[in-house]
Amino acid sequence: MAEHSKIHVWGSAAMGGALLLLGGAIAHAEASERTVWSGVYASDQAERGKAAYAEQCAGCHGATLAGIDTAPPLTGSVFLNNWNNTSAGDLFERIHSTMPLNNPGSLSAKATADIEAYIFQANGFPAGQAALPPSQPMMAGIKILATKPAG
Amino acid sequence: MKGISRRGLLASTASTLVLSGLAGSSRAIAAPAPSGSAVPHPDTEWRYYAADQANTRYSPLDQINAANFNDLEVAWSFKTDALGARKEYQFEATPLLIKGRLFTTAGSRRDCIALDAATGELLWMHRLDEGERALNSPRQLSGHGVSYWTDGTKERILYVTIGYQLVSLDAATGQVDPEFGVNGVVDLKRDFDQEIDPVHSDVGLHSTPLVVKDVVVIGAAHTAGDVPEVRQNVKGYVRGFDIKTGRRKWIFHTIPLKGEYGYETWIGGDADKAGNTGSWAQMSADEELGLVYIPVELPTGDETGIYRRGNALFGESLVAVDIETGFRKWHYQMVHHGLWDTDLPCAPILCDIPHNGRMVKALAQPSKQAYLYVLDRTNGKPIWPIVERKVEAGDVPGEWYSPTQPVPTKPPAYDQQGVSIDDLIDFTPELRAQAVEFVKNYKIGPLFTPPVISKPERWGTISAPGVQGGTNWPGGSYDPETHIAYIYSKTQPSVMGIIPNANTSVSEFAYVHGIAGMAPRKMSRMGAESGGGDFRPPAPPPPKPGQKAGGLPPGFLAIQGLPLLKPPYGRITAIDLTKGDIAWQVAHGETPDNIRNHPALKGLKIPRTGRPGNLGPLTTKTLVICGEAGFYTNEYGVRGAMLRAYDKATGQEKGAVYMPAPQSGSPMTYMLQGKQYIVVAIGGGNYSAELVAYRLPGKA
Repeated sequence: MAEHSKIHVWGSAAMGGALLLLGGAIAHAEASERTVWSGVYASDQAERGKAAYAEQCAGCHGATLAGIDTAPPLTGSVFLNNWNNTSAGDLFERIHSTMPLNNPGSLSAKATADIEAYIFQANGFPAGQAALPPSQPMMAGIKILATKPAG
Repeated sequence: MKGISRRGLLASTASTLVLSGLAGSSRAIAAPAPSGSAVPHPDTEWRYYAADQANTRYSPLDQINAANFNDLEVAWSFKTDALGARKEYQFEATPLLIKGRLFTTAGSRRDCIALDAATGELLWMHRLDEGERALNSPRQLSGHGVSYWTDGTKERILYVTIGYQLVSLDAATGQVDPEFGVNGVVDLKRDFDQEIDPVHSDVGLHSTPLVVKDVVVIGAAHTAGDVPEVRQNVKGYVRGFDIKTGRRKWIFHTIPLKGEYGYETWIGGDADKAGNTGSWAQMSADEELGLVYIPVELPTGDETGIYRRGNALFGESLVAVDIETGFRKWHYQMVHHGLWDTDLPCAPILCDIPHNGRMVKALAQPSKQAYLYVLDRTNGKPIWPIVERKVEAGDVPGEWYSPTQPVPTKPPAYDQQGVSIDDLIDFTPELRAQAVEFVKNYKIGPLFTPPVISKPERWGTISAPGVQGGTNWPGGSYDPETHIAYIYSKTQPSVMGIIPNANTSVSEFAYVHGIAGMAPRKMSRMGAESGGGDFRPPAPPPPKPGQKAGGLPPGFLAIQGLPLLKPPYGRITAIDLTKGDIAWQVAHGETPDNIRNHPALKGLKIPRTGRPGNLGPLTTKTLVICGEAGFYTNEYGVRGAMLRAYDKATGQEKGAVYMPAPQSGSPMTYMLQGKQYIVVAIGGGNYSAELVAYRLPGKA
């Protein structure tokens, strides 16, 4: 009986410690979290993206990214809310694998990243130094947040 | 609980079919078997896209009700990722349920599938790889589903492929019907009373065929017409085919030929060259009256009508034609020479309603413009007066303006119509002041304020509802016992500016929908190669004095990232057709994340705003059930959307269950082996398409 209690207490303490460690890890991750508000694309990349958008996307999503009858908007409230708390990698994957609808899979990874940079720019996210990388896993850690985090 | 083999399941439900068949009326099909049946919860069926030929999306089932809705659990789910060469995120179908099997189209290639309705197991799949023909189609992806026909022995599933071919399959096996068309397929680009390119022509269809008696009725859809590439596009005629052979029985010219009724409503013979005017919406049918009800879209040019002068029948009209011959019995034009993209987007709901002391065979047509048009379906006459009101003319050179538009006196509009200062965002005085300033650069006014030439001091007309409505393709729902219609609609205005166009490789139209300073863009006609036209990026518009560089471009209707107009952004309205009045209205959809977290709204208590989207509600014995249109992040930090249930009498919310993604296709329901199921298609954003079935806990 005593043995049993001892083990039990010991177990709890170990778990508590693990939780503390885990808590620390989460706090650390949050502190260094990259979001679309951290400057995750380059201005010249967005310029390239603008040209690619006009060629590949504007026919359905509109010159102003406001969407038309048959395609959703890529800026503003409806777009941001539907992508809030996803990642730049998720958006990359969706564009890269399904767009444009009449020729899916035809966009290179680089063109996709450029177009995504332009979409970020059009949504008011700030430009930074480095370009958005042309790779889904490389941008999976960049969170899309509809509203700018405080501080 | 003894094990039930599939063979046993099918055998045990075969009797249901016989009972339904005996009931005769299509509206009885979703109903339980007549009382006196030994089975306490007899199986039910769902034989049409919206439950029945009347498009009520109604079922009298009540096992799932207000007391237990929150207890619903996922019975099974079916991911469509493997159907087609890539994932789909826009799964708009509603499956059919016949004899324990669900039938639907699904996946990015629009395969046709059968699932075991108790488990979600795939029973069969039919696939047609159409190559270029499909890639060029104006209607991609999985579409709205399939149709069913039986003579009591043979059973057929019919669907239209992305490449506009009609396929007839054996419901039991998924094998093509060799007696139908050529090896089970009818090429819909042929026998169309016009010569069109089989691979590149601009026609397709994503709605389900309408099966009525032994006829299958097929409409037509085209590329959106904001910047029409050509003046002489494909004409969207409607056809009836023999369901056994695939032979064309009739054609209805939605654009009349010279000498046909309605031709004279086009000025200067414009009908000869005009295209589009298709029927891309679902249709309804009344077998007793022998009529099919066809909702028709605009002729070519969604916001510019310079090449379709006159009222131009049968644009934006509901047309009743004979099931067997296609002859026009009556028509009603909802908008004359429309300039607002107000296609008739969905099927009219057929409803028998008490009016002036007698029952009237009526129909109720939901619309993008947020009117529910209620007509006598025997003759097309309005139940409550619809009056012609004078409307303003615009300033587009060469445009023809209708001096009046039809305005229903009852029921009242069920969503925001037109824009005034009072309609602008007013969460805070600062936001309102910014919105007032914002609209000074636009034209605003009541419904039917025309689009205007776009210029920097007046970018265009802000039109509410916008190009997507109001109500769109899912249509409404209707309770035949209480005569109440339930309609979802959204408040999502559009800018309607018109710009000159001299680049004929982009468009043959001299004026197109657009914003000053931005070169017109070719629509993705999908029938054209990606090339030609001017692919330089749009020139930045000249900055206005005081305008901050780098902000949202003109034409984007937002104030600090918030919608320009007041909420609700999405709502469900109950309309009592015994009175022609609104019984209740609720905001539908959780308040979006960017409003709940917006710094300008900190500390404010904002009631639920609803969400804009395209949703079809389901009505049962006591509930109105509808999923949300958009993702939100819930109190656990998890993204998703809720399937909500309202008391259908009061609109009070009675329950909500979690869905990992928004509703993308309208829900349906059925009773199977004593359990009621609700099945709904979901997907969007980063969540690929999925069919999800809910039922109450406990052994099935």
